[in-house]
Amino acid sequence: MKSFFRTHATLTALVVLTAALSFLSEAFFTPRNLSNITLQVTIIGIIAVGMTLVILLGGIDLSVGSIVGLASIVVTLFMQSGWNVWLAILATILTVGVGIGVWNGVWIAHYRIPAFIITLGMMTIARGAALVLSDGSSIPVTDPVFPLLGGEYIAPASSAVILGLALALFLFATLRTASRQRSCGVSVGARDIALRASFGVAILALAAYVFIGYRGIPYPVAFLIALILAGAFMLSNTRLGRRIYATGGNREAARLSGINVFRVELTVYVIVTTLAAVSGILLTSRLNGANPNLGNMFELDAIASVIIGGTSPMGGVGTIGGTVVGSVLIGVMNNGMSLLGVSSFYQLIIKGFIIIVAVWFDVMNKRRKA
Amino acid sequence: MGDVVLRMEHITRDFPGVRALDDVTLEARAGEVLILAGENGAGKSTLMKVLSGVWPASSFSGRILIRGEERRFASTHDAEAAGVAIIHQELNLIQDMSVGENIFLDRYFMRSFGIIDWDRVHMEAAKILERLRIGGIGTRDLVRTLSVGKQQMVEIAKALSLSASILVLDEPTSALTDREADDLFRILRALREQGVCMIYISHKLDEFERIGDRVQVLRDGKAVGDAEALSSVSLDRIIARMVNRDIREKYPKEPFAPGEVTLEVRNFEVDHPLLRNVKKVSGVSFDARKGEILGIAGLMGAGRTELVTGLFGGLPGAARGDVRIDGKPVAIRSPEDAIAAGMALVTEDRKLLGLILDFSIRTNITLSSLKAVSNALGVIDPMKDRGMAERFVTELGVRTPSVEAAANSLSGGNQQKVVIAKWLATESKILILDEPTRGVDVGAKVEIYRLMNDLVRRGVTVIMISSELPEIMGMSDRILVMCEGRLVAELKTAGATKEDVMDYATGNRTQEGFR
Repeated sequence: MKSFFRTHATLTALVVLTAALSFLSEAFFTPRNLSNITLQVTIIGIIAVGMTLVILLGGIDLSVGSIVGLASIVVTLFMQSGWNVWLAILATILTVGVGIGVWNGVWIAHYRIPAFIITLGMMTIARGAALVLSDGSSIPVTDPVFPLLGGEYIAPASSAVILGLALALFLFATLRTASRQRSCGVSVGARDIALRASFGVAILALAAYVFIGYRGIPYPVAFLIALILAGAFMLSNTRLGRRIYATGGNREAARLSGINVFRVELTVYVIVTTLAAVSGILLTSRLNGANPNLGNMFELDAIASVIIGGTSPMGGVGTIGGTVVGSVLIGVMNNGMSLLGVSSFYQLIIKGFIIIVAVWFDVMNKRRKA
Repeated sequence: MGDVVLRMEHITRDFPGVRALDDVTLEARAGEVLILAGENGAGKSTLMKVLSGVWPASSFSGRILIRGEERRFASTHDAEAAGVAIIHQELNLIQDMSVGENIFLDRYFMRSFGIIDWDRVHMEAAKILERLRIGGIGTRDLVRTLSVGKQQMVEIAKALSLSASILVLDEPTSALTDREADDLFRILRALREQGVCMIYISHKLDEFERIGDRVQVLRDGKAVGDAEALSSVSLDRIIARMVNRDIREKYPKEPFAPGEVTLEVRNFEVDHPLLRNVKKVSGVSFDARKGEILGIAGLMGAGRTELVTGLFGGLPGAARGDVRIDGKPVAIRSPEDAIAAGMALVTEDRKLLGLILDFSIRTNITLSSLKAVSNALGVIDPMKDRGMAERFVTELGVRTPSVEAAANSLSGGNQQKVVIAKWLATESKILILDEPTRGVDVGAKVEIYRLMNDLVRRGVTVIMISSELPEIMGMSDRILVMCEGRLVAELKTAGATKEDVMDYATGNRTQEGFR
């Protein structure tokens, strides 16, 4: 309930900000602009989903930004050497994503070296490797299929069908959960169900306005939405999710409860680097070229999204839903400030203050509880 | 023996729900070693925390007089200024600083412009070490490189650098070898000659006569009689005073016929977490049977928690020995293995090791049984999850409005029930409970005892560690006694007395066939 309230507070901030920007700038609340925001949010958002898991464990991963750059170079080099697009992508995910994740995870989970140190080291190593492999310069992509991954849209008509199906599925699931809960004696108010349903309808209506009104759902955004749903389901409905929360909440107690904390931590560190590699591949595709400096400082935006989204930096408490709100808030803020002509220098300062306030909020909440 | 330098009068200290000290009066003199004796939880450490300012003067009632003058300490700093120094069981030295730096920590000799006069610091430190006749320690040695015994001497030197005239030592020999203890005693005797008043907390009866002048016994927060000279009182009499005779709590023990052996442990040992070549547990062998409650008695630090945590796979790499369950050898390398082998461990510290405090009651209870409430893909069935939690909440009578309530919103007794529920949910055949009723109110205690009876009736092997003698005597069928990492006795509860258990636990006696 507490974490729901925190998500709520950030959500309120997001709604207020959106309303204010719509009022201040005519260009803001248009399908075209909002669709662009979703695209901008996506690259960091994919990493932030993984970062949520890491921070839930009480850890951190500073290497994700450099992994974006390395994945960008590696996937392009694989394609240049004549590999099939899909093979190149798979090989990049396995080497750059899973490989580095295992390396980080073993140091952190087995040797118990602070995650901050290990991933700080990897941040430098991966960036260095990207520069070495590319000789420090950009590499163009020549494959005709590859740019579609990050740049194409699901046609508006198909998008409409998808959104319609999602609406039906969502309403069905809401009602089914409510009736199942009721059948085993949990009282669920009609008002609660109505609230949940109208929230879902509002989100989908907004999505319809944005995506059908412009060019459809961008591929990367579709991927991110699927990822968010899978991640949220994993955290709340699977053994792995329960184990992540338990390990982050109290590692010793989790271990003595029979949880293999090593396996849990390793899995999470592999997930985050793998998602960073995917993010790097999508970004390269969208830009239609690789650059060794891609993803610089992305780790900070990802961490900021997670923290602003209400996940406790101490671990154990937080949700992916919160992180989504956090990344969208950052995205809307960046976009809005640019539209209003605020210099990007000031944007940095404002973002920093927001992170501090969000953590202060979290700490105050904890203290009140204690 | 000199004048009375310390007088504590009518000290009473309450904690929520417990009176830790009840009208304790105590006198100590210059140039003596006053032994403070008593069972675990008798109030010895609390009394010394009162004396040394850990608990400020506003937190207790009664007076502290030093050389006839009433003193009210707001902090340990005040107490130090008045010449009271305490050496805790856990040493408080900074490992990566030198001996001299530690002795004068934050009280360095200064030159002008705020520059530390290191030569003087080391010279003065050397003088103190010399006064204590401590050899073999250089003031520029890093503390980390010294043995525990030497480190303790540095602590004493530090206390003396504060010109302490009252020195409290809390179980100083618990981590020392015999030779190091001899050295320590030599130093304490030298200090006695110099007129320092020492209060020495110890569990080890053999030390009483070696170092003590007088002994004061505490029991249940009360002083038992006045301090007596050790030359005129027998050890038996001291033990009789330490042990509580009246059982005020009810132990609903039901007798059962012990069945077959379920757990066999042979030559189990556990390494010390920090010191090489030192064992926390060594050469422990025992059997536990179906249908019995096996009690493990001993003083704090006797190695009981290490023994059961090691058996449960909680100390990977540090514990070894032959373990058989139902006659089959098992290799338990992690708690996961232990659970698979049918073992459960209710840990001693439920907040740090037993519960995920941010979790709900439901998620805490099903944490060790997630496989039972999820499908092959790892997806948890919310109905099974909730159903399991609700079943145990009802069965154990956890007082809560809902299984969704957070674990940290519960009282100590109900939290303990949640931890026990987590382990009952695993349907283990062997349930180990480490201090199951510590910090639990009397009503919940009896409920936990009843539950233990139920489990034994259902054929579970119950092993209970307890530092409360009445509980051990009241609930177990057999009692294992541990002292300094070894098993020193195995007693049938019927026919054994509390004095017997205390005698073995303090190392005063060892049963034939052990050690």
